[in-house]
Amino acid sequence: MARNKIDVDEELEEKFDLGQVKRLGKYVGPYKNKMIWTIILMLISSALTMLQPLFLKDVMEAIENFQKGLISDSDAIKIILTNSVLMLIDTLVVVLILRVKIRWTNQVGQNVVHDLRKDLFVHLQKLPFSYYDERPHGKIQVRVVNYVNNLSDLLSNGIVNTITDMVSLLFIVAFMLYLNVNFTLICLCGLPILVAIVWLVKSRQRKAWQLQSNKQSNLNAYIAESMNGIRVTQSFVRERENTIIFNRLNEEARVTWLNAVKYNFILSPVVENITMLTTAVIYVLGVSWLMGGFKGVTVGVLVAFTGYIARFWSPITTMANFYNNLLTAVSYLERIFETIDTPVDVKDAPHAVEMPPIKGDVEFQHVNFSYDEGVKILDDVSFQVKAGESYALVGPTGAGKSTIVNLISRFYNLDSGKVLIDGQDISKVTIASLRKQMGVMMQDSFIFAGTIMDNIRYGNMEATDEQVIQAAVTVCAHDFIMEMEKGYQTEVNERGSRLSAGQRQLISFARALLADPKILILDEATSSIDTETEILLQQGLNKLLEGRTSFIIAHRLSTIKNASCIMYIQDGKIAQQGTHEELLKDEKGYYYQLYMSQYDFLQE
Amino acid sequence: MTPMKWFWGYMKKYSPKMAVGLVLLTITSLLAMVNPKLTGIIVDDIIGDGRKIELKPLLMLLGIMIAITVIRSVLRLIFLWQFETASQSMLYDMRDGVYRNLLQKDFAFYNKTRTGDLMARQTGDMMAIRHFVAFVIYNIYENVMLFIIALIMIFMVDWRIAVCMVAVLPFTAFNTYCQSKSIKPKFTIVRNRFSSLNAFTQENISGNRVVKAFAKEDYEIEKFDRENDAYREAELGAATIWERHVPIFEFLSNMLLFVLMLVGGIMVIKGTMTLGNMVMINGYLWMLNNPLRMAGWLTNDLFRFITSVEKIYSTIQEVPKISSPKQGWSPERLKGSVEFKHVSYRMYDDVILQDISFEVKQGWKVGIIGATGSGKSTIMNLMCRFFDATEGRVKVGGVNVKKLDLHTLRDSIGMAMQDVFLFSDTIEGNIAYGKPDCSFEEVVWAAKIAGAHDFIMQMPDGYNTIVGERGMGLSGGQKQRISLARALLKKPSIVILDDTTSAVDMETEAQIQNALQSVDEQQTVFIIAHRISSIKDADMILVLNDGKIVERGNHDTLMEQKGYYYTVFSHQYGEFDKFRHSGKRKGGWQHGTK
Repeated sequence: MARNKIDVDEELEEKFDLGQVKRLGKYVGPYKNKMIWTIILMLISSALTMLQPLFLKDVMEAIENFQKGLISDSDAIKIILTNSVLMLIDTLVVVLILRVKIRWTNQVGQNVVHDLRKDLFVHLQKLPFSYYDERPHGKIQVRVVNYVNNLSDLLSNGIVNTITDMVSLLFIVAFMLYLNVNFTLICLCGLPILVAIVWLVKSRQRKAWQLQSNKQSNLNAYIAESMNGIRVTQSFVRERENTIIFNRLNEEARVTWLNAVKYNFILSPVVENITMLTTAVIYVLGVSWLMGGFKGVTVGVLVAFTGYIARFWSPITTMANFYNNLLTAVSYLERIFETIDTPVDVKDAPHAVEMPPIKGDVEFQHVNFSYDEGVKILDDVSFQVKAGESYALVGPTGAGKSTIVNLISRFYNLDSGKVLIDGQDISKVTIASLRKQMGVMMQDSFIFAGTIMDNIRYGNMEATDEQVIQAAVTVCAHDFIMEMEKGYQTEVNERGSRLSAGQRQLISFARALLADPKILILDEATSSIDTETEILLQQGLNKLLEGRTSFIIAHRLSTIKNASCIMYIQDGKIAQQGTHEELLKDEKGYYYQLYMSQYDFLQE
Repeated sequence: MTPMKWFWGYMKKYSPKMAVGLVLLTITSLLAMVNPKLTGIIVDDIIGDGRKIELKPLLMLLGIMIAITVIRSVLRLIFLWQFETASQSMLYDMRDGVYRNLLQKDFAFYNKTRTGDLMARQTGDMMAIRHFVAFVIYNIYENVMLFIIALIMIFMVDWRIAVCMVAVLPFTAFNTYCQSKSIKPKFTIVRNRFSSLNAFTQENISGNRVVKAFAKEDYEIEKFDRENDAYREAELGAATIWERHVPIFEFLSNMLLFVLMLVGGIMVIKGTMTLGNMVMINGYLWMLNNPLRMAGWLTNDLFRFITSVEKIYSTIQEVPKISSPKQGWSPERLKGSVEFKHVSYRMYDDVILQDISFEVKQGWKVGIIGATGSGKSTIMNLMCRFFDATEGRVKVGGVNVKKLDLHTLRDSIGMAMQDVFLFSDTIEGNIAYGKPDCSFEEVVWAAKIAGAHDFIMQMPDGYNTIVGERGMGLSGGQKQRISLARALLKKPSIVILDDTTSAVDMETEAQIQNALQSVDEQQTVFIIAHRISSIKDADMILVLNDGKIVERGNHDTLMEQKGYYYTVFSHQYGEFDKFRHSGKRKGGWQHGTK
């Protein structure tokens, strides 16, 4: 997939996929019992609610009888009292059921959303770098947090109410049929009209909401990026321009919302008008049948029946609304499932074994690799590193140095060839057991929000405070940390300007060391560290590197001079290989030229 | 200013629109009472006992009812549209306002605020406000109106029973009061948890490389579980409040029927009220019932809304310490001279800079070198006025930076920052970031000077290649060069290279240095670097240690001082002498810069 920008919509799927709705069933499944009980309780509750007019009817009849002199006033009052008490009891039960319903539907809704969000997050952890590199982070984030949230009400109250209403609809239809079959058929005639209208707007409505969710996602992604890049924006005085872009996205979100919500508005007036029309038809036909002496049509039946028409349509409205919300939700759902369905390229092979404790031999056998098909990054790379050796990689930007070290951690799968550690093909072991034994320090030193202590400990959760401090001392970070007002407990964050780039590198260095790796990979790990600190750092490191295999990518050649072997990488191949001294003997070689170029400026 | 006043500031503009909506709503609600009346007439007067029915009035009445229904539907659509457009337009304004506000916040604010929190303000909290404006407001209005109308009607029918029904009001009020009191803290917790979940997720996504490198997926999932659980608990915690109060409202609404049956029934028996009146009151009862039933939910929505408004307000009301002065000095172009006079800077009681003084003339090249964390970048940040000096004075172009229009100041300075942030946009878009209306030729020009042109052209889509957020997928050196091109494109009076070539190989760096010199004689250049080669030719070199300038001069004078600079030089180039003496130099570096 091509990379996605902020203002580019992600592709739309055309078909309304019932499969997505079915998959949701999987999430509701575990809470099925609670749902079923809620529905049963709700049915009881609606039956009890329907009883309430009956109590009133009894009271009214008693009064009429009293007025006609059929019963005494004390009897009438007795009936009134009994019915009032019944009403009270009835109400209390209804209220209790309501309380239980609110509790359970909330529990189900929140749990479903919780589970869905978790699945989404777990899957995101498995997706490779490229997934994150290909799209703005804000777009991933809204899926996990906002999209999922939108589903909670639909999946709890929505389902319960719809099913409850469906059942009561059955009762109502049965009762209507019992009253009069012809009237019922007329009433049902309205249904196809409703279905037809819903059907007509369906695909437009769905597309409209899809578009809306895309625009909303663009807007959110832009907000996220604006906040992350605020320093650049302010220093380039781009506020005005950014506001214009933001408002373009803002406007798109607004317009698409209004466009989509239109369709949701259509439903209830349609239902209302259909109700009215069928009622009118029934009156007219009813009256003419009444006058024609049609069998089974009496005034009582006619009046009672018209009273039921509204009750017939109200559950249908609820269901139609559920459908409305479902259509809106599907545009979120498909994004969520799309993420969950993104295949994981780098994953444990079937029957993968745990990587045994690593000694540190690393071997590349005819490794070929490309990110995009056809653009070869590594071309038949082979080399062998013995445990405890330190290998340096040099060469021009983009030659493939980072790619080589990334393959050792199996961040990507090879096109062909093998990477072996201690003679074990790393594609045959579990990824976690492999990576846990490696210490990687990357070009971007990422700092999590939290204390400095936490950030270093990220390398090894079991480490004691002393071990954390020891690691910081080794990488010469201890002094500057102690100078901060709260020392190791100082809160730092991702964007934080509290730490200089060099300090951040030292902290992530300490983090990598704390992991006590058998293989240590330093990818431009010291580029922002001053020479003095680097020398101190190296003295500490030399001791530490004993017994560990290390790979170092650096542009400052002083950093790598002492490596057991230096590989000059060019165009995805190893162009030269040897120790510093050996390589310098070849005055035509790449390394010699590179080494000498650093003195160029001295000669003027 | 209070949160609600802030909100009102946005709503004011759309209140006429909403007032129109409310008028239409009133009409539809009143019309809603007509059809049941007409139905009554049909049943009682026209059908009657069914003996002699006249078709004509029946058809006429049905016609009226259909007409009313149609009119009602149309009016309803119009008023819904009024509210929806008002809420969306307001939301637009509000997002715009919050966005502008956030753009003005200073570094101090961003140092302590997590991106995820700010995202939550602009997403979830905005949605709560939308829901309030587009739904809750008219629902509250409609329900209150129905309630009052019904109450008046009942009063007109029989004031005594009306008084009995009014007796539920104090209970309703009390319940509403209790609910609102206990729900607010719960919603605050929900909002905080939502923010926290947002912030955690955002960091996990941004830091995905580190997570994978340390195989910490399980740990992250565990942490996420905690956030996810906490959010669920917060939502369920809030639910316990309405689970307690909503049924009470339901109970109170049912009590109305109870009152009617008991009190009304006895009154009729006692002969103080007619049965007809009782039936009539029963007809109005739904108008009292529904509002009571809705009260709990609406109270909920109302407080969700209030919590969100407060959340947003508390984010934006913080006044940034650094802002453009009113009527700041704003010349066409600032000169490139810089002066620091006894400048000190402290952050959270840590001394970052101490008594820094130096003077840089326009067109100078200034090198700054010093240990990690010695305050090099801070000097640059003070120059751009991202922070204000705690003591002393910073002048750029001969003017105190505090007196300068902030935009003019920053526009005159092109900074390539230490940690490079690129936007998920094309490479061209990233380079042209500071000058979006520039020509493609200018972009190429800047990329060439920054030594980026060649590798960009090697990419499949050249300048149209889209780079990931933060420039993911590019190597460190590539990112740095793009960021340098971005700074150069502005053709600023002052260029700052804050450790911008650290990840660039030396040959390329030498090319960049040469190209930079040819750009503009009058351009002042600040270079922060660790490699001596980057700063050797500077007119002035400052050596920083622990926030103080410990050495200053040019390469030659500093070499003579045999201090820090000299030591660094020896470490980096000590070996050079060996080669010089062994005469091995030739052939090597001369075509090293090929």
